Amino acid sequence: MRLSEGAATRLRFPLRLKLGSLLSSSETGLKASHFRRPWLAAGLLAPQLLILLFFFFIPTWKALSLAFVQVDPFGATMIFVGLDNFTTLFSSPEYRDSAVLTLWFTTVQCFVTLFVACLFAFATDQVMRGRAIYKGVILFPYAIAPAISGVLWAFLFNPTVGPLAQMLDELGYAWDPNRRPSDALLLVSVAAIWKHVCYDYIFLVAAFLAVPASVIEAGAIDGAGPVRRFLTITLPMAAPTIFFLIVMNFVYGLFETFGIIDVITHGGPAGSTNTLVYKVYQDGFRQLDLGSSAAQSVVLMAIAVLFTVLQFRAVERKVNYQV
Amino acid sequence: MASTYMKSVASLLAAGALLMGAAGASAAERVKIEWWYAISGKLGETVQQLISDFNKSQDKYEVVGTFKGNYEETMAAMVAAYRVNQQPAILQSAERGFMTMLKSGAIIPADELMAKQGYKIDWSDFVKPVAGFYIVNGKPAALPFNSSTPILWYNADAFKAAGFDAPADTWQGLEKQLYALKEKKVTDCPMALPGDFQWSLIENYSAINDQPFGTKANGYGGLDTEFVYNRTSVVGQVARLKKWIDDGVLKIAGQGVAPISLYTSGTCASIINSTASHSAVEADAKFKWSAAVMPHEEGVQPKNSTIGGAALWAIKGKPEEVQAGVAAFFNYVAQPDVQEWWSKATGYVPVTNAAYAKMKLEGYFKDHPTREVAIEQLSRGEPTDNSRGFRFGNHNQSTAILLEEMQAVWTGKKAPQEALDSSVKRGNEILRQYEKLHAGK
Repeated sequence: MRLSEGAATRLRFPLRLKLGSLLSSSETGLKASHFRRPWLAAGLLAPQLLILLFFFFIPTWKALSLAFVQVDPFGATMIFVGLDNFTTLFSSPEYRDSAVLTLWFTTVQCFVTLFVACLFAFATDQVMRGRAIYKGVILFPYAIAPAISGVLWAFLFNPTVGPLAQMLDELGYAWDPNRRPSDALLLVSVAAIWKHVCYDYIFLVAAFLAVPASVIEAGAIDGAGPVRRFLTITLPMAAPTIFFLIVMNFVYGLFETFGIIDVITHGGPAGSTNTLVYKVYQDGFRQLDLGSSAAQSVVLMAIAVLFTVLQFRAVERKVNYQV
Repeated sequence: MASTYMKSVASLLAAGALLMGAAGASAAERVKIEWWYAISGKLGETVQQLISDFNKSQDKYEVVGTFKGNYEETMAAMVAAYRVNQQPAILQSAERGFMTMLKSGAIIPADELMAKQGYKIDWSDFVKPVAGFYIVNGKPAALPFNSSTPILWYNADAFKAAGFDAPADTWQGLEKQLYALKEKKVTDCPMALPGDFQWSLIENYSAINDQPFGTKANGYGGLDTEFVYNRTSVVGQVARLKKWIDDGVLKIAGQGVAPISLYTSGTCASIINSTASHSAVEADAKFKWSAAVMPHEEGVQPKNSTIGGAALWAIKGKPEEVQAGVAAFFNYVAQPDVQEWWSKATGYVPVTNAAYAKMKLEGYFKDHPTREVAIEQLSRGEPTDNSRGFRFGNHNQSTAILLEEMQAVWTGKKAPQEALDSSVKRGNEILRQYEKLHAGK
């Protein structure tokens, strides 16, 4: 700890010298951080601002402006309805079902993904022969597009033609995701987890590698076995990464499982896999109910903002045991 | 040997370059007409054939067809494009989107367009069920293009093996046959549930059995129509389907598998599907296939079924020369010869009397008896308020809701009556919303 602090002060000193010589002596304090040529500054900022403008501010404005009106799909008639879209939304049992489902699905997905990735990452150190193959196999799903993996899962587990579904059938389990919501949800969850385990795995392997060997060796000398060392040394030291992954998994489950759901179940049967994000698409783009869809995306935006705030708060708290 | 080969390659290349140059020149002079369509597979190939035939038939216009996904996806693409003024000149839109398109303010009525561009189309020549659907106050709003109706497809070999010459006329009779197919172990899947079963097994079921689907003559009488199908024999129909599904007599194909492929592959012995399945069945089915009219309830005098499929809409906001091209294309599509070719290639019904008469005269239906099943079913009896068709605003939305509620029945989450009540209630909210937005239009 002391060492790193020393390095930082040593670094900061020459930097300040250099900056000072670059800027004219009359500009000090706050002004010293100003660009003297505002056009250069604007030019450097422009790409990022443009991206934000087109992919964030304009869509946000559109969503907000549509959330308070009822509009025919072609935009010919528009009636201001105030908060009607929101009240209808919150009083609709379908929307509440979708919210509960989304919470359940993202939570389960988040922790199961993390758990499986942890197991694999832990095992990476124990695998001696063919470690590259082992890593390759785990990373493979990440390279497959969500739509393609969705088609594969849907086909493998299709009750009339899918080979794995028929295997389940022969084992005595009447598998049918078209008629049993739990089967559909299970299928979507497994596909979503399978797709995301590799992401968590990469981060965890890196985090586990960063744990100083000396600490682990000390544990080993004191007689702790590999599992004990993993649980009491490696895991706590990787806590910042794990926390980061929990947030990322939630974001993935909430927003990025769209492709898998669209291909495997279309949100069915009877809305049993219709997550909040998928519902925005269903209502807006398939059913052309733009008002309700916009209101739903405003709600989702609020959730996303909440997540961001939570993450920043937690990062400030510094969940960390760095030596 | 090698040198002759090289020579022929060289001359081929030269010829190709010449051809491409020629095509490039003529394409540059031609007015491009964009057409977004929504049918795929064999039918999509036939659409491309139609376009290329039209482009070859004249040198002023070039129709460029783009497949935009299924009907809902194509409609969504259209809506998004229209709002930023990037719409196509022609849109293929399903019968379900009729009201939405009609009152969208985004279309030029077909008769207005044709009259303005100096074409004369005999609108009275369109066959009755088609005209009854697309003609509003004596004027067609869109050009009827691919018109279909659901019919009962069956595997004659399988039915024979179970001791039946043909499927029964009534649902009650058909039920016994399907259960016999299963019990006699002829097949594990007597019937497949079509993806658009709400169209065939609920809407057309209502029409054939003369049951009201909505008030005000199923919406023909005004925007203040309400759904009533939760108070008709549809309730019993849904309960029957649920029972069949539970007993493994009726199978759901599920995502990623086209229900019709369960029939054409021989997995399922029957399916109630569009007559447009002819192109797929004729190409893929390796057994003795056949088709019959849809069953009706015992003791009911069956009525006509209703039209499905789609029409071509001329979209507003295009320059004069493009509109002229759209009219030329519409005129081409409405020709009896083209109609006949299209109907034969796809299985859709001929939409004009002239085309139908021509095919009949040739003896086409003697050689292809199943091609006439849909026409017979469409023109059976005198249409009533319950069987003329459906005019509901935002029918796409209420359909999606009906499908979702039906899935709740299949999963056992809701009883048939409960699901239908909920579907009607939610559907009526959509009708009221539509009424509010389009009052006085």
